[in-house]
Amino acid sequence: MVVAAVLLHDGFLWWHERLAPDTDILTLLPAQRRDPARQRALEQMVEAAQQRVIVLIGAADWDDARQGAAVYRKTLAPYRHLLYAADGISDRTESDWLATFKNHRLTLLTSEDDAALRGQAPPYWLDRALGKLYSPFAGPHPLAWQEDPFGLFNNWLLARAQETAVRPRDHELSVSDGERQYAVLPLTLRVPAFAVAGQQALMPVLEQARQAAQQAAPRIEIIQGGVVLHAAAAAAQAQREVSTIGIGSLTGILFLIWITFRSFKPIVLVTLSIAVGCLGALSISWLIFERIHLITLVFGASLIGVAQDYGIYFLCKRLGANDPFDSWRLLRRILPALVLTLVTTLIGYFSLVLTPFPGLRQMALFSAVGLIFAWLTVVFWFPTLVHASTLKNRAVAERYGLSLTRWPRFTKNRRALGAALAFAGLASFGVSRLTVQDDIRSLQNPPKLLLDDQLKLGKILDLATPAQFFLLRGANAEALLQREESLKQRLDLLVQQKQIGGYHAISNWVPSARVQQSRRQLIDRLLLHEPGALATLAAKLGEGQSWVSVERTRLLASASPITVEEFFKSPASEPWRYLWLGQVGDQYASIVALRGVNRSNLALLQQAATGLAGVDWVDQVSEISSLLGDYRDYMGWVVMLSYVAVFVLLYPRYRRSSWRVLAPTALASLLVLALLGVVGQGLQLFHLLALMLLLGIGVDYGIFLQEPGSQQDGTAWLAVAISALSTLLSFGLLGFSRTPALRAFGLTMAIGIGAVALIVPCFRKPTAVVQPPSSVV
Amino acid sequence: MKSKTVAICLSLTVWPLLGAAPVAEIQAILAKPKILCGRFDQTKQLAGLKNPLRSNGRFCVVADKGVLWRSLQPFASTMRLTREEIIQWHGDRVAMRLNAKQEPTVRIINSLMFSMLAGDLGQLEKYFDVEGVAGDGAWSVKLKTRDAGVAKVIGAIALDGGAYVKNIAIDEANGDRTRIVFSAIQTGEQAMTSEEAALF
Repeated sequence: MVVAAVLLHDGFLWWHERLAPDTDILTLLPAQRRDPARQRALEQMVEAAQQRVIVLIGAADWDDARQGAAVYRKTLAPYRHLLYAADGISDRTESDWLATFKNHRLTLLTSEDDAALRGQAPPYWLDRALGKLYSPFAGPHPLAWQEDPFGLFNNWLLARAQETAVRPRDHELSVSDGERQYAVLPLTLRVPAFAVAGQQALMPVLEQARQAAQQAAPRIEIIQGGVVLHAAAAAAQAQREVSTIGIGSLTGILFLIWITFRSFKPIVLVTLSIAVGCLGALSISWLIFERIHLITLVFGASLIGVAQDYGIYFLCKRLGANDPFDSWRLLRRILPALVLTLVTTLIGYFSLVLTPFPGLRQMALFSAVGLIFAWLTVVFWFPTLVHASTLKNRAVAERYGLSLTRWPRFTKNRRALGAALAFAGLASFGVSRLTVQDDIRSLQNPPKLLLDDQLKLGKILDLATPAQFFLLRGANAEALLQREESLKQRLDLLVQQKQIGGYHAISNWVPSARVQQSRRQLIDRLLLHEPGALATLAAKLGEGQSWVSVERTRLLASASPITVEEFFKSPASEPWRYLWLGQVGDQYASIVALRGVNRSNLALLQQAATGLAGVDWVDQVSEISSLLGDYRDYMGWVVMLSYVAVFVLLYPRYRRSSWRVLAPTALASLLVLALLGVVGQGLQLFHLLALMLLLGIGVDYGIFLQEPGSQQDGTAWLAVAISALSTLLSFGLLGFSRTPALRAFGLTMAIGIGAVALIVPCFRKPTAVVQPPSSVV
Repeated sequence: MKSKTVAICLSLTVWPLLGAAPVAEIQAILAKPKILCGRFDQTKQLAGLKNPLRSNGRFCVVADKGVLWRSLQPFASTMRLTREEIIQWHGDRVAMRLNAKQEPTVRIINSLMFSMLAGDLGQLEKYFDVEGVAGDGAWSVKLKTRDAGVAKVIGAIALDGGAYVKNIAIDEANGDRTRIVFSAIQTGEQAMTSEEAALF
């Protein structure tokens, strides 16, 4: 009945909800709950980048690039519901741009000019004005000389333009890296970057545009970069893996079962239990989490390897038992063992649910529920479905069971001692060499082409990094701008030392009111009034008092203060709006973004924030990496405590032999750690997660072989063998995944399970003599 | 007499029909030396100022290197344009320095200036519509910018000369006018004085 409900629910999910898995990696990580401003800052930084794709179309000749860009745009035109490219730069854009700032130009100065105002005497300014006057051609000058006689506003405009390498040219945005001229096309997506459906609609369109442009102008090179490209590649890869791993494991298991039982019924039965497990897991997880991540599905596909343990154990026991032995009675006989195996495995998953990683919780819940459903299937349905007469062929089972007798045993003899010493030596050597690897960057593995393009794009455009920035807070907008300015003083030093390339801040465009006021006063005093530079200039030019007063009035009229609100109304503020977070809670917050950040200057940047009130250095990458490190530590303790918990659970049933159940698993875990150390691979959180799981599964095998009667009929050994092989298959396939986390997981499991399966018979109780299976009652 | 009148009328009617300049012809008339130095006299009339601003000095155009513009009167100021940089000195002090890496338009400006002084119309055609006449070892052209944005700043540039560029007239949209006259042109290695060579 429950199964019927589950089936209905899954059917509903499939048809109605269009069950579409999530592909955003960030949802796997815990949210920053402590600090709303920080959370908002991170969201805003990510959002600004997330829905954009930047396309660079470059050629040695600008005309080729422009033509390619035009064709690219045209090809994208019919898809405005998916994405749109901003129209080319119109002539109005530049004048609109200037209009806002012209009225405030007396307060807009570069920091060098500001220092010059305070430090230099009037003759310096006279010199400057004359130099500007007489030079025949002196760079771009959008204002007439009279409007900016001392070149202050010009310098400011130049400094603002230099915050980016992109320039408008012939109605397009262009950038050059010295060899080639690139047309820059920023595309904005209308579909969410992480929805698989959106990605699948988007990627062919981009490819089509690329080909059309390439055909129209064969000499061009196209570079694309954007979050959606990585997400689509990751999703496609994960989907491939789900099918490979799922189908691979399933086929392998079915094949193994067929060899053992020579009949299709066991295959059907085991598939049934697995299928029920998976469906149940899917519907319950959906109910609780409301979305399933693709990684969960990939991990869940390997769940198949674990869930079949129960079915196989039952079937092997059935095979070994005599005909008149009723299935239900058989079930009662093995029920304690089955319960113990389920509980010990669940302990492993339960500890994963305790972590704050939503991703791990999802995976743990999915797997745990799947196992429970499979177990229930075995316990309730198998006895009715499998009668004593169902399984006949025992030849393979008997032969395999006999091999158990030949298996070496761990007793107190010299050979065993030698083996123990060798193992201890290897283990200590390996473990002593063990390092840790917590860097979250090692978890990413994008396709090489995408990575190359992204790096090239970053280098050519010299963009600010979204992962590391300064977060500033203040009681109001003015206080915030003042704090930005004090931070900028320190950053200016770093720029001079060429440690960083530059920075973006709203106070670059809108100085604080305090600074604006002081500049106005300074300019007034030094330049405009008697005996300022303006008067001397007029004398040199042969102009009279009237000219001076007209000029003074004109310049003072452009001295009104500029505010942040006004700045945001101008089209020039569009690329910088993400820096201003506005009011968050009872404070105002803003971001100062940096260009040219790399690993060597991170420490310097962190220092720049010390001692300044309201300024925080945010480094997402290292924070997440240290978070991973913390959880690795935590998981280490959990693993060790779980061993103790399992021992306590086993004690009531096995008394003094409990250590025999645990020993193989413990040794196998040590072996894995030692191998990691020897190979030089750093220990990650995911290795420890695998060790956790290994505990659950390895103990299963120990239980199977320690059950009373297991020595006599050898079927338990058969069950262990089949189960180990199929688990090896499913997790071994995981080891081929391109996602580094899953690969680490899979390899650890594969080595661990293999070791456990080989070692576990060595720890049998050294008493009973093995008798041929047919004489078991 | 009558035929003369007819001839004049005919030539007058033909004049407006002369469209694109015969660039190839002009290129043929122009000597294109590697090193070209001489004197310039610049007169600038800014809208709103009573008196025109006069200055003179020496200039050098070196193929593959750039342009040197040394203003000697009324005060000393030197500007050097190379492919990657514009730098201006007032006396010993550096007044302005623009690098192409930070300011990509530097390359465009420099190639424009170089082409104008050397008379390289082929390059100028990329950015301007060139109209004019050539003949008899002399030529004169008018440059109009294609880009409407640039046209707002620079109205029209007129060049004329023979084997070398003799006059440049720049008319800006806001009423500023600049006239530059070149004279005492010399070419070859001995054209540059030692101090000029040092600046390069």
